[in-house]
Amino acid sequence: MVRVKLEHLTKRFGKVVAVNDLNLEIKDGEFMALLGPSGCGKTTTMLMIAGIYKPTKGHVYFNDVCVDDLPPKDRNVGMVFQSYALYPHMKVFDNIAFPLKLKKLPKDEIREKVKKVADFLEIGHLLDRKPAQLSGGQMQRVALARALVKEPDIFLMDEPLSNLDAKLRVVMRAEIKRLQKRLGITTIYVTHDQVEAMTMADRIAVLREGILQQCAVPDELYLKPRNMFVGGFIGSPPMNFLDCSLVEENHEHYLDLGVFKLWIPPDIADLIMKNASGSELVFGIRPEDLKVTLTLPPEAKEAGQKSKIQAIRSEIYVLEPLGKDVIINTKLGDTLVKVVAPPTIRPSVGETIWLNFDLDKMHVFDKKTELAVI
Amino acid sequence: MSKKFSNLLRGYVIRPKASISISGLGGFKSFLKEKSRTFFVIAFLTPFLAALTIMYGLPCALSVLMSFTDMGLSFELHFLNPLLKNYYTIFHVADPRVPVVAQTTILYVGCTLLINAGFSLVLGVLTAYCIRNENVASVLRLLWFLPRMTPVIIYALLWLWFTDPTYGPLSIVSSWIGLKGVRWLLDKPYSQLLMILVNGYIGASWGMVIYVSSIKTIPLEIIYAAKADGATDWDVIRRIILPLLKWPILFVTSWQTLSLLGSYVEILAIWDGYSYTSGVEVWSLFTYHTAFEGYRFGYSAALAIIMATIALILVAIYFKVFGFKRMLEPSRIEV
Amino acid sequence: MRTAEGYRKLIWKAKIRWLIGNIIVYSIVCIPLVPIILMYGWLIAQAFSGVCISSLIPQKLTLDNFYFLTGPIYWGGTPLYKSYWPLVRNTLLLALGTTGLVVAITSLAGYAISRFEFKGRDPLLKSVVVVHSIPGVLFLIALMYVLNTIGLYGKGFLTLLSVIIIKAGLESPMYTWMLKGFFDSVPWELEWAALVDGCSRFAAWRKVVMPLIFPGIAAVSIFAFLSGWGEYLLVLTYITDRKWYTLSLALSELTYQFKHVDYGMLAAFSLLYLLPAMVFFLLTQKYLMTMRIVAYKG
Repeated sequence: MVRVKLEHLTKRFGKVVAVNDLNLEIKDGEFMALLGPSGCGKTTTMLMIAGIYKPTKGHVYFNDVCVDDLPPKDRNVGMVFQSYALYPHMKVFDNIAFPLKLKKLPKDEIREKVKKVADFLEIGHLLDRKPAQLSGGQMQRVALARALVKEPDIFLMDEPLSNLDAKLRVVMRAEIKRLQKRLGITTIYVTHDQVEAMTMADRIAVLREGILQQCAVPDELYLKPRNMFVGGFIGSPPMNFLDCSLVEENHEHYLDLGVFKLWIPPDIADLIMKNASGSELVFGIRPEDLKVTLTLPPEAKEAGQKSKIQAIRSEIYVLEPLGKDVIINTKLGDTLVKVVAPPTIRPSVGETIWLNFDLDKMHVFDKKTELAVI
Repeated sequence: MSKKFSNLLRGYVIRPKASISISGLGGFKSFLKEKSRTFFVIAFLTPFLAALTIMYGLPCALSVLMSFTDMGLSFELHFLNPLLKNYYTIFHVADPRVPVVAQTTILYVGCTLLINAGFSLVLGVLTAYCIRNENVASVLRLLWFLPRMTPVIIYALLWLWFTDPTYGPLSIVSSWIGLKGVRWLLDKPYSQLLMILVNGYIGASWGMVIYVSSIKTIPLEIIYAAKADGATDWDVIRRIILPLLKWPILFVTSWQTLSLLGSYVEILAIWDGYSYTSGVEVWSLFTYHTAFEGYRFGYSAALAIIMATIALILVAIYFKVFGFKRMLEPSRIEV
Repeated sequence: MRTAEGYRKLIWKAKIRWLIGNIIVYSIVCIPLVPIILMYGWLIAQAFSGVCISSLIPQKLTLDNFYFLTGPIYWGGTPLYKSYWPLVRNTLLLALGTTGLVVAITSLAGYAISRFEFKGRDPLLKSVVVVHSIPGVLFLIALMYVLNTIGLYGKGFLTLLSVIIIKAGLESPMYTWMLKGFFDSVPWELEWAALVDGCSRFAAWRKVVMPLIFPGIAAVSIFAFLSGWGEYLLVLTYITDRKWYTLSLALSELTYQFKHVDYGMLAAFSLLYLLPAMVFFLLTQKYLMTMRIVAYKG
């Protein structure tokens, strides 16, 4: 089993820097997701780990040995691509058997191993078909089989579920996770879908324009995002951002969000003053952390007053019912704020509701650096 | 004209118009549209069809006719008795040069095909896949294109110099390796080797371009997958690229065979009158010489018809094997 | 294989394989190019050399080889060519004439074949493939008869004109094929929009489709021009009047007389003949290489 270490990894294509000084460690047997929008360098990183691209700068280590000059064929990696990349001129059996044929294993052994993997992935009945005769889900399993049959040290997957329909995607998500847990192979999974990353990975590395934003377990990414990008990328619907500034009045500290003020306790104010670079801040709160009530609840006080939960009144702009929740859109000043509310609350457009802000759940970011301040 | 009469006439003109019903009007309109459409097609195609008929159709028919005559400089259509006399001469080997020419042609087509279809494949694979730097690959491909892009008479001059007994590098180098005194242009089999090379340099680039564009349609991810699966570059070429190039290879081979049967300009430009004695007189060249130096137009027409017949048989076979659709897109990879 | 030592061995092997592989690849591609580079390099070097040379190094640098630009070329005591420039004029005439005619014929025909479904369309396309496979010498012989019968053989300028027409006619099917591909790639909706807006079919063709086909027309023009510029066989066979020789025919005659004797003049002549075509080709080659060259008969 293999540990992977990326050290100052950089890849440049002409003038474009695809991956910029990436430092990452993937533990043996870990399921690491590389998450980010398209063009953020995640596929490039994966191809460098596989050895198909050579790093412009920096090194890739397998078990502390530098493998920069090791060709892909000697790295014992199993790869699954978004397009599956099945060999169109070979039958499914030959596709799966290909890595073994290249190793020049005896025919019987090849047949045995292929059959084993095919049965494991429930495609044993497809062995005589050609890729053109398979459905998307079947092709994906063949790609998985081909990657697994050589018993790789590392599993690399590049958005393998993107081309599947939504239902199949959900099923395969669980399947792949189960597979990985059972086989214990170090896995690096590239995706732009944060739901996939959150549900499947042990740890997630969030990338943006080639730079690592944060690498942590899903819960930490969700609860303690290091910057605005991570905060806004993880979680659906995305975090609400409101510009604000720290003000002091009568020895009390408030966050001035323009439309209203929020009182904050002195220890948090101190933290903000210590970490922020200036006075311009961004207030972040997740839609699911905002509570909607029709009247001011007893535990809350109106915004600006000393309380853990402060609320303001706001008019409903638009409703997005989802069945299990309803997303309420309201406007605070010029900003559209989304709130996830249980379906029991049935307000209508134009009605005024109370938005309850829980100070435990708030995030504050520096507007200039976009880093989290608390 | 009396007023009465003109009114009568007007009635005849107006009434038919009024009597056309609404649906009839629509039918009339579409009839016009059809007619204008046909007219349009014909107008656009006329120059092309004229070219096809006059430059291709007419000569074919004429050649057949001419082959039944002993037409000479007088350009008289004097039919032979028996009609097929020219053909008897050819097939009964009454002309001793015919078998020699036939052999030369087979040698020429067979060997040059190795370069035009075979070596061009090597060039294609190497420049499209093995050489990673696209700029270097384009420059190399461009250099390989030089012979094809050069006016043939200049190309001939270059080879004449190259093989010149006094000044030519080939003669100089061959004297170093013990082939002193060899006249590369005139002595068999050196002249024949030269014939093959001269045409090979020109033919290689056509196949190369077709193969390169085919290879570039192979999705990169398949190559990546193969590499991750443990393939060396050679494995990738042997097991992935070449199998996928099956149809382009067949196409290039077939088409080059046809093309080589009819090619002779380069040989003519370099060897001119010495081609027969140097053993490089291929069938088309023999036909040309018979016509324009021997002035035996009838006989040469027969020679040409035989070659054309072989070509047509081959084309018919190709249509059967490839199907028309595949001929339209030779570079397309299919499985 | 997972030990540090194992990895290091594999890396070493990979490096050697990479080196040997590159040597083989570049050898195979470049070594056959050596004669070619030698020949073309010689052309330049010899054109400026006072003696016949056997390598790329010019000797006795001179411009004398270019004497034909300003004076007649003599063989023995008689002038073979009184002046160089009529040759250029004739070659240009042939090249441009063929190009113009070809573009006219093929842009019309390519459009019609691409856009219209008419009876006989498939047979027409098939026949293009068929006639293209017939060895060219057959047409040469038959057209000789035609020219003679019509009375256009040996008639100086008229013969050259006939050659232009013949060449355009012979090459049109292939270029039509090429252009058809380009027409196919223009979406039908564009013309439909134009027709709905009130254009006649012809105007739609002229104003909407043709500008989009420009790359195709450019490609056809380039190929046709280069083909006409280098044309040898047709002029050799049909043109007898020295006043109407083209550069290729003149060069062929000069080569016959002067080879082994005055490579300098021949090289100079060839260089000037080659240069326009080569420059033209190099400027447009990136453009051409990206095109699917289906059937450029060499």
